[in-house]
Amino acid sequence: MNTLRTKLSALVTNQYVLLLLVVVLLITASGMKGGTLQILSFTLISILFTQSIYILTGMTGQISLGHAAFFGSGAYVTAVLTKTLGLSLLLSIPVAGVATSLIAFILSYPAGRVKEVYLAMMTLGFGQIFLEVAREWTAVTGGVMGLSGVPSAGLGNLVVLGLKLTTVDYFRLLLVITCFALVFVRNFSQSRLGRSLFLVHYSELAAGSIGINRRQTKQLAYALSGLFAGFAGAFYAHLVGYLGPDSFTINRSIEVLVVAIVGGLWSIPGQVLSAIFFTFLPEQLQVFSQYQFIVYGLILTFTLILFRKGIGGFLFTMPRFIRKTLQAKSLQDRLTSAFLQIKENHTKIVVQGITMKFGGLVAVDQVSIEIPAHQITALVGPNGSGKSTLVNVIAGVFPPTAGRVLLNDTEVTGKTDQQMSKLGVVRTFQDPRLVPHFTVRENILLGAHARMSYSWLEAGLSLPRSSRQELLSLQQCDSVIELLEIASVADQAVESLPYGHRRMTELGRALMAGPRVILLDEPAAGLSDLEMGRLSLILKKLKAFGITILIIEHHMEFLADLVDEVVVLDSGSIIFRGSLPDMREDPAVIEAYLGMEETQHA
Amino acid sequence: MDFFISLVIAGACVGSVYALVAVGLNMTFWTTKTLNFGQGAVMMLSAMSTALLVQNGLSDLVSITLGLALVALMGVLVERIAIRPALKTAGSMGWVIATLGFGIVLQGVTAKYFGSQAVAFPEVLFQVQDVVSIAGQSISMQYLAIFCISLLLIIALELLTRFTVAGTAIQATAQDIELAVVQGLPVNLIVSGSFVLSSVLAGVAGVLVAQISGTVDPAFGFELVMFGFVAAVLGGMGSSGGALLGGIILGITSKLVGGYISTAAEHGIAFALLIVMLAIRPQGFFGRAEVSKA
Repeated sequence: MNTLRTKLSALVTNQYVLLLLVVVLLITASGMKGGTLQILSFTLISILFTQSIYILTGMTGQISLGHAAFFGSGAYVTAVLTKTLGLSLLLSIPVAGVATSLIAFILSYPAGRVKEVYLAMMTLGFGQIFLEVAREWTAVTGGVMGLSGVPSAGLGNLVVLGLKLTTVDYFRLLLVITCFALVFVRNFSQSRLGRSLFLVHYSELAAGSIGINRRQTKQLAYALSGLFAGFAGAFYAHLVGYLGPDSFTINRSIEVLVVAIVGGLWSIPGQVLSAIFFTFLPEQLQVFSQYQFIVYGLILTFTLILFRKGIGGFLFTMPRFIRKTLQAKSLQDRLTSAFLQIKENHTKIVVQGITMKFGGLVAVDQVSIEIPAHQITALVGPNGSGKSTLVNVIAGVFPPTAGRVLLNDTEVTGKTDQQMSKLGVVRTFQDPRLVPHFTVRENILLGAHARMSYSWLEAGLSLPRSSRQELLSLQQCDSVIELLEIASVADQAVESLPYGHRRMTELGRALMAGPRVILLDEPAAGLSDLEMGRLSLILKKLKAFGITILIIEHHMEFLADLVDEVVVLDSGSIIFRGSLPDMREDPAVIEAYLGMEETQHA
Repeated sequence: MDFFISLVIAGACVGSVYALVAVGLNMTFWTTKTLNFGQGAVMMLSAMSTALLVQNGLSDLVSITLGLALVALMGVLVERIAIRPALKTAGSMGWVIATLGFGIVLQGVTAKYFGSQAVAFPEVLFQVQDVVSIAGQSISMQYLAIFCISLLLIIALELLTRFTVAGTAIQATAQDIELAVVQGLPVNLIVSGSFVLSSVLAGVAGVLVAQISGTVDPAFGFELVMFGFVAAVLGGMGSSGGALLGGIILGITSKLVGGYISTAAEHGIAFALLIVMLAIRPQGFFGRAEVSKA
């Protein structure tokens, strides 16, 4: 089955096969019957529309139950521009796409603040508002009577640059545009921005920790999703020639979700097949159209529970999120890990009188420490002593209730985690927060996000600057993989790998962000002795590169020959700082920490 | 002025039904942090079956009871089919989509076998023309009855959750479901029960609204459940008192907007309120912001 999947995937992603298919369709279109052309055109629109769900729900994990509103606004904008104002299609369709994208962008402000059930309800409400507007704004939309006589190929009044477009021409145009859109979305998914959408999906906290701007990332996802939905709607308008509010109800939002979910939320080829299936089936099978909504309901009820990866997951291998050609090139021409070398290796962090309260609970109380440059400092203490909270404050996850954080001599108190990461302060988490279906390499490459700068447009069109930056990052990624000694699993999905590898992957991701200071939250927890030994060597290398390291850890043997200094925290306050051997003798520490370890092995 | 007062009264009565729906949504939100997106279809089912049973000669009371029993069963089913497996495997997107699908199936089956036409709803609570005069205002008995029934149900539920063992068990599950399991509470039963209760409340709300609107069709309930959700969000998810106030505020606001600005905006305003509220104060007027630990 797996070899079959690999072969099938190679077939559907083979550019020559696809090109051949497109050329055959372009040529044979002139001989097709009107009905066939119409269904094929609807299929293409469905594929185009599904891409907007792929971006928003598949990649970014943002559910939308109001996508019909985007589709509808694209349709109405182009209809009004061409029919009422007499503008050309060449202008009205792009305007429809951009206008819808803008609406989606505006919606992203409230929508970006909520999740799950709230987001689902909000988008549902948004869809209803659109419907009310379409029904009531009679002067523009024609109200419940709708807008008829929109220039369309079927009516024979679709004129572009003086040429009358027939249904055949329109189908060809749509085919070329859909192919272009698919390539664009594929390229985008294999770019720094595409990958960042997935990380925001799985862990917003992890995204912030490597300098991804969560808000902007979601805004981008909404805007792009709106763009594709708007285009789909606009092409729909010129295909059918009549628009009424009933075409843009919740049913259409549900339909596109069904297509996307059955196709597999992550699989572009799966969604294309699914779109073909759901457009042809009701046409071919009258029985189906009778039971259409019952079937849709059943599909929605069971697919995500029983058949989570959809057609795409069944027929094809997981898509990859790195451009294959670039990866091959980077493996040929390697870099050393010297890029991690810090030139001015004197970055220290000073914490002055930090207090962190959650409601009435004081997690950290008036803590002042210095994390000296070019050293490994360990932060130890019993569970609940405030270690992770302190790291969270330094990393910018929580603004402290009181106190200051200085990076060298600059005050950085209250900066967000994203800003801190850009200043070179990067952290890992107690439990690795990765994109589960990404490979080790893809996850590590995420860390380079903020050090690359190409835009979504450059990504989608795969322009030279994007390739250049990706290649450099991939080379750096290879050297990090080598440093961490995980080359053997680099191309396996992290969800299939043991814990130790996931921890290494997360460390690799942090390193790719180019840290000057790295904060490690229990990096050795759950590692085997062998892995711990390897981690210890790696941390020493990082120290030699000039990276300042703060490490929260419980394993004293692991820390023994590693750390320069130990800070002990108990109930939110520092009770000791000094060398590890001295700590073992310290009565306060023995009482608070080691004393506990005798009865209850930490 | 009379117009204003009549709008406020009508709004408060309709709003009390929204509150009832909201309290039903809160029930399952407490126990599982989920809610049934197909709740609208549940309302439709209870109203539709009541209407059809009365048409077939059964008494009002028997019809309503059978209708509510049917939706109670739906509550069990939706939890077993759409919620429980989805929570285990597919995360939040799973249950939202699954419950939505469940609702669509109910709606589709009803439309298939009983037609998609509106069915006249019998007058089970007084007659349309029954009015009572209070302080010079004549108020429809139907509206008044709806208000009283909703209010009584909400108060009764609040007392039950506060002062009975079952209520305490629900609260414990709401606090920490894992701890509830460890304490030996029959959590599956409690969760299942919360869905039954939620569905029954939705069923009652469906009957009450159908009484005012006079007809019921397969698409009935879709917007109603959203209004219930808006009421719950306005008052703060999970708070019964909040839901009651949220429902009444929503009912009055939309009636006033409908009366003075445009009837077209009557529904739209609710969704606009929802979006604004979620963006500005997601915890609602009365809810407390959750403290999250990273």
